[in-house]
Amino acid sequence: MQRRKNVTRRQFIKGAIGTTAAFTIVPRHVLGGPGQTPPSETFGGALIGCGGRGNGTFNAMGLEAEKLAICDVKFVGRTDNKMVYSDFRKVLERKDIDVVAIATPPHWHALISIAAMEAGKDVLCEKPMTRFIAEGRAVADAEKRYNRIFQVGTFGRFGASGNEGNVQTHKIIKSGLLKECKVVYIKRGGFKVKEWSGMVNATPQPVPKSLDWDMYVGPSPMKPYHRHRTGGTHRGYWDYEGGGLADMGQHYFDPFQWIYAKDDASPVEIEAYAPPAHPEACGMWGWVEMTYADGLTLVFDSGEWGKPYDRKEPRGVSMSDLDEESRKKVEAMPDPEPLVNFAEAVKTRKRAGGNADAAHRCATLMHLANVAIRTGRKLQYDPVKEEVVGDEEANRLVNQPMRAPWHL
Amino acid sequence: MAKRSSSIATLVDRLPDPDENGMLTNIDKEVVDSVISEIHKGGRNSIRRLIDMLVEPGSGDDVKPRYALHCLAVYVCKLDDNGQQRRFAKALASQLGGDRPKAVQGYLVRQLQVAGGQEVAGTLGELLHDEALCEYAAQALVAIGDGAAEQLRKALPQARGKCRLAIVQNLGVVRDRESVDALKRAVLGDDREVRLAAAWSLANIGDIGSVDILLKAADAQDSYERIKATKACLLLAEKLLAAGSKAEAVKIYTHLRDTRTDPDQQYIRDAAKNGLAGARVK
Repeated sequence: MQRRKNVTRRQFIKGAIGTTAAFTIVPRHVLGGPGQTPPSETFGGALIGCGGRGNGTFNAMGLEAEKLAICDVKFVGRTDNKMVYSDFRKVLERKDIDVVAIATPPHWHALISIAAMEAGKDVLCEKPMTRFIAEGRAVADAEKRYNRIFQVGTFGRFGASGNEGNVQTHKIIKSGLLKECKVVYIKRGGFKVKEWSGMVNATPQPVPKSLDWDMYVGPSPMKPYHRHRTGGTHRGYWDYEGGGLADMGQHYFDPFQWIYAKDDASPVEIEAYAPPAHPEACGMWGWVEMTYADGLTLVFDSGEWGKPYDRKEPRGVSMSDLDEESRKKVEAMPDPEPLVNFAEAVKTRKRAGGNADAAHRCATLMHLANVAIRTGRKLQYDPVKEEVVGDEEANRLVNQPMRAPWHL
Repeated sequence: MAKRSSSIATLVDRLPDPDENGMLTNIDKEVVDSVISEIHKGGRNSIRRLIDMLVEPGSGDDVKPRYALHCLAVYVCKLDDNGQQRRFAKALASQLGGDRPKAVQGYLVRQLQVAGGQEVAGTLGELLHDEALCEYAAQALVAIGDGAAEQLRKALPQARGKCRLAIVQNLGVVRDRESVDALKRAVLGDDREVRLAAAWSLANIGDIGSVDILLKAADAQDSYERIKATKACLLLAEKLLAAGSKAEAVKIYTHLRDTRTDPDQQYIRDAAKNGLAGARVK
């Protein structure tokens, strides 16, 4: 099949269907069904959220995608609804757009990802995937319901899964043959806690004429405008993200999740050492200790507040932790399938390595940590029901109400 | 009273000051915990005094009392004492609906979202017609859960504008079956946002009698509304299937499979086919 450039996949499809000769040689697989490769590798793309991460996220798709639309709530007064938009809903109505890169603040990630998949688009979404836990499950449900490609915008697992030692660790844990998992994984520093804290004394400012503030706030509680709530420093507010912890965590723990075979699991116990949190501004915390059902301990140690974590020492896992029979079984296990990147996933319809389920379980780590910080309580978590056990108020942060008309 | 007021002010003043960037980076956990514990001992009067210190954003410095009130909300949740928590929530609720600035009342509602329970549902329900507070009130009600449906249902007939939208949507969140008829009327209304919210609500409720009305909505227009109404149909089908109403679910899937013939709608056909496969229908 000859490769066509400068024609979007959907334009090509329309052309093919309108041409009998072409139609005879371009059957159903032009639609890129499961296991099929579309004849054109040029895709119609849209970028939603055009701040600092916008172009980087769009380019991270790794596709020959023609940027047909850009959209941002700060484009008020300069939209033409052909190339430049301020309302993502109008972008998603376009049939010539196949793939959408989302680089808005995180409180919009889940809703736009879901809406894009409902409109038949594939999605690459900037990290962190979500603002709270229930959003992640809703994205994963949409990914399955519409059989679309979703990839979160962090790629650490792709490198990690190519490392021989990591593969062995993955297989040991995945095998379930460890009688007791004594792994203690401690991530010290790098959480940008102070850098991405919020202001507690911000006084309202006039909304810039170029900004649709109501649309910016979207599903989050309406608050008066202050520039610190936008433009990157939005990270410091619970309404839009979850501080440096949420912002950096998905980078750090995306490879962890793969290496330690935790893509379908979450911790069962979470304890935080932190001062009482502010209701709106993300702030200081010392450390968070999480324990999985198999015994693995995961620790975030900020190094920016209070005493450092000193309960346990880091510990890995090796074949020597297994008995002879178990070692043989692990050695006989096949290596895991190579992870599929976004571009390959879009073309082949195979599931992406950083798919919605995996990304959601990773984002859940940071959300659970923040729930423990915000409630000041030790939490028991049910990874199947995805709710905190016996703590109604903590669950109000697991599944947060949204401002209408936005809902999961 | 004057002595107690000044004592609260002294306590609150011990809370940390923002740093030069407006952030609470210099925070001492022991000091904050001790201050909040002391304020709590003062009971309802202390809470009232704290609320008196809140001002409209931009009209004064209330950083410390705001922080204190939220810490108190979290603190009473930690006590594992429903009585204490209820008393705190009632003290906050007693300050709603009066002539305090709306922004201050909004802040109190958000603290009820943290620590309130059924005991404040009625007070929150009374705010559902207040343009400035209805969104916060609706969010607090659904977070609380108990008593929310009754309040939302009661407020719907007189609600207008964004309050009506918030109520229609949240009736779906709490899955209030008693509101099905009202929601069906809303699906046929003039306001697009309300139509979409009502369609989703009926789907999330899993109302078996809404199949035809949702399918009609999904066929209506080739636009974002069509996309969202189609989602409502698929959601309803999943709910119905899970509830054992297979025939109605199959009706939805079959309709979508047979009517979405445009190549761009292949993914909807596929979703419908998957649904039918799940229902084991060829």
